[in-house]
Amino acid sequence: MKRANLQRAFPWLMVLLMVGGPVAFPHAEVYFLVFGLACFYAALAMAWNILALSGLFSLGHGAFFGLGAYAAVLLQQKLFLPTYPAVLAGGLVGALYGLLWGLVFKKLRGAYFALATLAALEIPRVIVDNWESFTSGSMGIVGLGRLPALDVEIIALPVGAGLRSQYYFLFAWMLLVMLLHRHALLSRWGWALRAIRDNEVAAEVLGVNVYGCRLAALGLSAFLTSVCGGLYAHLMGLIEPAMVFSLHIAAFPLILSFFGGRFAVLGPLTGALVLYPFDQLILQPWLPQGHAAVYGLVIILTIFFFPQGLATWFRTKSTIS
Amino acid sequence: MGIWLQGVLSGLSLGSFYTLLGLGFSLIFGVTRAFNLAHGDFILLAGYLAFALWHFWHLPFYWTLPVCMLVLPVAALALRELLRRLPAPFELNSLVVTFGLAIVLQNLFLAFFSADYRLILLPVTVVFELPALSLLVTANQALLLIGSLAATLAVYVFLYWTFVGKALRATIQNRESAALAGIRVDQMQLLAFAVGGVLLGLAGPLMATNMYLHPAGGLEPTLIAIILTMAAGIGRTGSLLWAGWLLGLAESLTALAIGSSWRELVSALVLILILVWRPNVSGEHNIAP
Repeated sequence: MKRANLQRAFPWLMVLLMVGGPVAFPHAEVYFLVFGLACFYAALAMAWNILALSGLFSLGHGAFFGLGAYAAVLLQQKLFLPTYPAVLAGGLVGALYGLLWGLVFKKLRGAYFALATLAALEIPRVIVDNWESFTSGSMGIVGLGRLPALDVEIIALPVGAGLRSQYYFLFAWMLLVMLLHRHALLSRWGWALRAIRDNEVAAEVLGVNVYGCRLAALGLSAFLTSVCGGLYAHLMGLIEPAMVFSLHIAAFPLILSFFGGRFAVLGPLTGALVLYPFDQLILQPWLPQGHAAVYGLVIILTIFFFPQGLATWFRTKSTIS
Repeated sequence: MGIWLQGVLSGLSLGSFYTLLGLGFSLIFGVTRAFNLAHGDFILLAGYLAFALWHFWHLPFYWTLPVCMLVLPVAALALRELLRRLPAPFELNSLVVTFGLAIVLQNLFLAFFSADYRLILLPVTVVFELPALSLLVTANQALLLIGSLAATLAVYVFLYWTFVGKALRATIQNRESAALAGIRVDQMQLLAFAVGGVLLGLAGPLMATNMYLHPAGGLEPTLIAIILTMAAGIGRTGSLLWAGWLLGLAESLTALAIGSSWRELVSALVLILILVWRPNVSGEHNIAP
């Protein structure tokens, strides 16, 4: 009974923490920065998990992230597209690369798929690194502006005006991705994904379009990850191949999702909102170089001691596969 | 002409080093069927250890080799203990856990050695020269070539001509049948990890003299080891050498033809091609924890 209450209260507690915390301390800029980025990584983790829910683990999502970032920036600089359309177009570029994965890696499963994605991360990185006339190579592209105001009907939201408005924007982005993530768990398509993950042959026999459902998950996951990449370029103000096509970007969502709980709607989100602020606010000042080791430790401990992740502590009925 | 010959030579020495990378990986993969994504980081560990001994304690370089070859088996056996206790599903969990281990190691390197590129700088001496073909072999290259080939040969002799080596090969090929034949599979696993560790300990210092050490540099050797293991088939030392030479040649000739920065593309493409064409190298009947 108590557990059930906790379960029901949990999402509201999170909302209270996320909205209430920064509002209670309106001058603590660093909290806005860190919690804003925590929301960002939560969105990234959920985007990754949409593919993982179909039973395929990717170690190469950094490829989508980097392609999204570079496409968004180059579309603005070479074709003079406005920021938000460019970011969305960058998402489409990433989704195309995702569909290419779907074609080439069609028959790969498990560790073999993961290894293939690891190699697929290297390919765009080397190309961007070497195509200096177009992408300015390993020097990267610097001096990118903050996110401009977002025009919604008549009001213009000053998204990039300060850390606070940036925080609210990233919070909203996280909620949007959370709804899609929820859809990938609870809709008819979500159940199809679950059937595929549990037993592909049985799902096929029951009439689930295995390839189609999986391709949809891959496409959506790649699109969202690439959009995150495009946003990241403007959050950081610069991009370099080693920064956006990095293994750390690829590892982050995996670790946050496992830690938070891969099979819960709020799992990856919980993982991100707990672990990232912990790392940035507590560990980083204490151990400036090498504090990211905590992510490696956490994933090892998670696998050994609570493989279903944090979020399952807050639920009554186990819906684990 | 000369430059291509030089390319072939450096390809062969690179390829022999790749074989060394692949050997350690394929022994450990053979007895566990675990893709050790921290393989390259273990090599970096040995490399950084050698660098620290050489740079901070002024140990002569050749003394770092035996030290690393003693320390790394301990690390490899620790890895075995970790993998042994892994909950199911083994294949994916081993991938994720070794990935986590790689992140931990990378950050340790970052904390202790900073993000700078490190190199054990040996005096450049020419040991062999053909001026007519403008062919040149430096001590570094010779060390890489001879060290790697000697280790490969030693492992080959061990696996094919000794009784224990044959038992180890049997364990790699099929655990259950090996156990039925009276082979103590547990001890063979220990042995595989120990020998794998010695090879890692040799590879690290060799890498530190020829390529730069960098905290994030573990991925490339890992990918190369995986490529060779998948291409050769498990526990097949002979084909491992051919695969290593082929990859080394392909990389060094690519570097000559279109520039050294494209070299990394070769290994990534080769890995994808191998995976797509031979998706089931490990053999479905024999996925053993």
